Amino acid sequence: MFLVFLVTIPILGVPIWYFKRDSSINIPFMASAALLLLGLLGFKDVFTGSALVYKMALSGPFSPSFRIDALSAVFVLLASFLWLVVAIYAPEYMQHEGKTAGFELCTLLTFSAVLGVFMAGDLITMLLFFELMTIASYFWVVHRWNGEAVKAGYFYLFFSIIGGLFLALGIVFLGSSGQPLTLGSGAVGAFEQPLSIWGIVLLIAGFGIKAGMVPLHLWLPHAHSVAPTPASALLSGLIIKIGAYGLIRVGEFVGWGAQLSGGTAFLGPGLISAGVLTMLLGVTGALLQSDAKRLLAYHSVSQMGYIILGLGAGLYLGTQGSYGLVGAVYHIVNHALFKATLFLGVGVIYTATKETDLYKLGGLLRKFPVTAVLMFFAVMGITGTPGLNGYASKTILHHAVSQAALAGTPLVVWAERLFMLVGVGTTASFAKLYYLMFLGQPTKLEVSGGETKQFQAAMSLLVAIMVLIGLRPGLFVRIAALPLAEGLGLANAGPALKGLNFWAVPDLVGMAVTLALGVAFCWVGLKSGLFHWQPPRFLTLEGLGMLIYQGFSSLFRNLSLIYRNTAVALKRRARVVRGRFLTLSEKMENPEAITFGNMSFSDISANTGLLMAVLVVLILVYTYKDLGHYVKLPIPLAKWIGK
Amino acid sequence: MLELGMALFSGVTGALVVASLPKATERLRRAVVLLFSVTGMVFSWRVAIKIFNGGNIGIIAQLGGLTWSLDPDPLGAMFGLIASTLWVFAAIYSFGYMERKTRPQTYYAFFLISLSATLGVAFSGNLLALYFFYELLTLATYPLVIHERSADAVKAGRKYIIYSLSGAAAILIAIVLTYIWSGKIDFASGPILVNTMRPGLNLLLALFVGGFGVKAALMPLHRWLPAAMVAPTPISALLHAVAVVYSGVYGILRVVYSVFGRELMGTLSLARKLPWVAAFTILVGVIIATQQDVLKRRLAYHTISQLSYILLGAFTLQPWGLGGAILHMISYSTLKVTLFFCAGIIAERADETAVSRMQGVGWSLPKTMIAFGVASLGMVGMLPLNTFWSKYYLMRGGVQSGQWSLALVLIGSGIINAICFLPTVVASFQGEKAKSSGETGGNTMLMLGPTLCLAGIALLIGLYPGIVWPGVEAVVNRFF
Repeated sequence: MFLVFLVTIPILGVPIWYFKRDSSINIPFMASAALLLLGLLGFKDVFTGSALVYKMALSGPFSPSFRIDALSAVFVLLASFLWLVVAIYAPEYMQHEGKTAGFELCTLLTFSAVLGVFMAGDLITMLLFFELMTIASYFWVVHRWNGEAVKAGYFYLFFSIIGGLFLALGIVFLGSSGQPLTLGSGAVGAFEQPLSIWGIVLLIAGFGIKAGMVPLHLWLPHAHSVAPTPASALLSGLIIKIGAYGLIRVGEFVGWGAQLSGGTAFLGPGLISAGVLTMLLGVTGALLQSDAKRLLAYHSVSQMGYIILGLGAGLYLGTQGSYGLVGAVYHIVNHALFKATLFLGVGVIYTATKETDLYKLGGLLRKFPVTAVLMFFAVMGITGTPGLNGYASKTILHHAVSQAALAGTPLVVWAERLFMLVGVGTTASFAKLYYLMFLGQPTKLEVSGGETKQFQAAMSLLVAIMVLIGLRPGLFVRIAALPLAEGLGLANAGPALKGLNFWAVPDLVGMAVTLALGVAFCWVGLKSGLFHWQPPRFLTLEGLGMLIYQGFSSLFRNLSLIYRNTAVALKRRARVVRGRFLTLSEKMENPEAITFGNMSFSDISANTGLLMAVLVVLILVYTYKDLGHYVKLPIPLAKWIGK
Repeated sequence: MLELGMALFSGVTGALVVASLPKATERLRRAVVLLFSVTGMVFSWRVAIKIFNGGNIGIIAQLGGLTWSLDPDPLGAMFGLIASTLWVFAAIYSFGYMERKTRPQTYYAFFLISLSATLGVAFSGNLLALYFFYELLTLATYPLVIHERSADAVKAGRKYIIYSLSGAAAILIAIVLTYIWSGKIDFASGPILVNTMRPGLNLLLALFVGGFGVKAALMPLHRWLPAAMVAPTPISALLHAVAVVYSGVYGILRVVYSVFGRELMGTLSLARKLPWVAAFTILVGVIIATQQDVLKRRLAYHTISQLSYILLGAFTLQPWGLGGAILHMISYSTLKVTLFFCAGIIAERADETAVSRMQGVGWSLPKTMIAFGVASLGMVGMLPLNTFWSKYYLMRGGVQSGQWSLALVLIGSGIINAICFLPTVVASFQGEKAKSSGETGGNTMLMLGPTLCLAGIALLIGLYPGIVWPGVEAVVNRFF
């Protein structure tokens, strides 16, 4: 019951929202504060290994069930914290965007749906809240309701709908062998049927769409950049993490901490390669963007790649996979914190300049000193600078990948090399963002207004947690990650994680090299104009998709044209035949004169003539057929007509 | 006995009363129509509940040397329950819609007769009664199709009659053949042809499916349905999305499970191809729907596609497939009637019938367009709506029958459904904001009320499918 109550807290805010007269009542703030408080108080036992479970007792095929284990608890707390921060930030910001009330409602409903996804106890309950979240957050994306927003909205809606349908089909396929798809019950048994393996693949694709896994990420840069900034922060900070959460749960069906073999053995390498591709494409896309929000959105793709890579390494390593899983979860938390900070910072600049194009901004350090400092922390976080939170999770992920590379195939070895390369790209793109925004030539735009207390408070909250994690990286691992990994079935996570040293010299040196190379690359890129390069259409996935779509639609158009022309021609032909038939029968009806060859039936009626003709034909046919009994004839009528 | 009779005759009685009332008594007429449709609904519910709980209600009469049997089983009771419930909603909607239309008396009289005919189809206990009521339904709905009396309407009516009667002729031949081959025509004692092994069964199945397939709008026998959209919107909504077309679907379900039986069906070569005929109709129907610009025609082609979902489930010959089919009968009808009701409100209030000119309609008719949006999401098969459950069980049925590609067809159709409807909803909220709301005025609540109510019911069933589950279970247990 407690769990259902938690899910409905934001919905309880809806009536207040409807009846409130005073716009200073911040309902999302109250809801998220309540959740954070209740979560911190109520989830104590969860982290010691006992899950909270509640199943509604409804008759029929569906009764929602709810469950919180350590993994869910981490996500619920993270979501509540992010919503709290955004609730502090949004009222001030939305003054500049308009339609405050609608935004607030949407925030509440999405919050409830997100909590539902994290607390769901079986796949169908999860799908229910997943779809609700899609619908609720769609209104964030189309908030501005101009051409661009509607287009991005279509991208978002259609990709999400397809994701939902994939999940449904995956559930059907996976459930075809009769397992109940409840979460937290471990692996669903051997994957002997190809159908249940396809079920897993479909579930991964469905959650992968939400997670922005390449090539299913096309919607993400559009949707995350047109939404109002607080919504972008939540979309990038948390909503895409639902995809990652789903992937972890799918991993649970396959079995964390078990050496995968047979039909599911491809999942580890598959996820690793998907992760690396996502990282690479995301970071390349980010380097080429000129719009700050699009750059951040592409970076969400890239950072999701890290997370997917971690999950892949975790599955690949089987019993030793705790680094991969824990690194992924840790990175989810860290990415949520710094990506939200970055978006909120860009939003602060946007409120004052109404501009997010990086090449039109610059030199804003003087006017926005606090934002600049806070953004600098976030940039250090995302690039993995030691002392900030990104370093902690990237180190664990790097450990996981190198561990896999030791054991593994050339694919995984390449994954390790590309890991460093992506780090360089990340540093370069954020050096570019920071340089073009806060340093460099002062902007020519008119700057009105500046930082307010709410903006600073919201961002400082995030940065405080980031610094805390950065300085005490082991804390999260001890409190949350260890019970989480053990709860998911990684039995020997304890020794591996307790022996973790974050401050090993090779790691520090590696990071320093990455940072230096990144800054150098950024300098080269800015000087040479490399960042202005636009890839040709067929090289981008989006352009490729568009080309395929155009091919299909022209094929469809031509096919339907052919069909229509054929139909018209046939109809015309039929009309001609009907006309001839009519004239013929008119002639037959006409008793005056009919001529067959030389004979003229001018005196008898045509009907009689017709009758006679039929009789003659019948006599001929039956004579011929009768002959067939004695002589072999070229056309065997006797056989066809019968005796 | 009493319940059955009351349910069956409430429509005809109501029609007689309506016809004998003086022309100018609009309010009295409405009261009578409402009274008799509610009677029909209440008694069909009582029949259905009794049947679902394992009871037995039957009327068997000897008339003219023939045996007429009314003996509903769970399948028939379910059909009767769906039809009669939606009849009440359509009746209320009609009060609003017909306010400024001509010839209300004729309209309501035939509206009520059709209720009786539909319930007759649902409750029939042998092939003869089924055939009789099936033909009666064609004749009773013909005046409703040509209600406008325009050239288009008359042409559509002719098409409707020719298609339906040709189908019925095929059914009659098939019924005679069935009787000659087996000597039985009643459904109660297991499948009719259960121990008949002889050549020609494929032909018989083709005759039955072809005959009922006309009303079930199985491609390529669907052409009458888009043409019949000239009828008033409540008729399009109720008859051409639910009652009449369901009588065809119901006929095919009967043929598959009560005439042939699933064991015999499993051995027929034609029966293995039938799911693919349905799959073809599902995909092609919805693709054609995306090409239509007139909203009602789009909905009509969409109906063609969705009806084949039910047939697909039935043709899988699996318990989950049949369960999905029955769930889809329930859930599709609620959402489709909602969509048609919305189309009617848009046509009446915003005077707009083309999808391409919907810009800004949403601002003047917000509630209508929200209901339309909810129903569109349902047609995609998203979870808070009831169609998810039917799709889910249809997919399970497809997988269970060993043809998992049928599940892919349903997913593909879901995506095309999204392309078909969601842009319309989004576009209706683009463009200029209307100054005044179109949803005020005397008769609006009569049209909007049933629409919103049905969308709410769809949501409720989606969140709690347990409320319709006993019925679905009863039907599945009857045949498996």
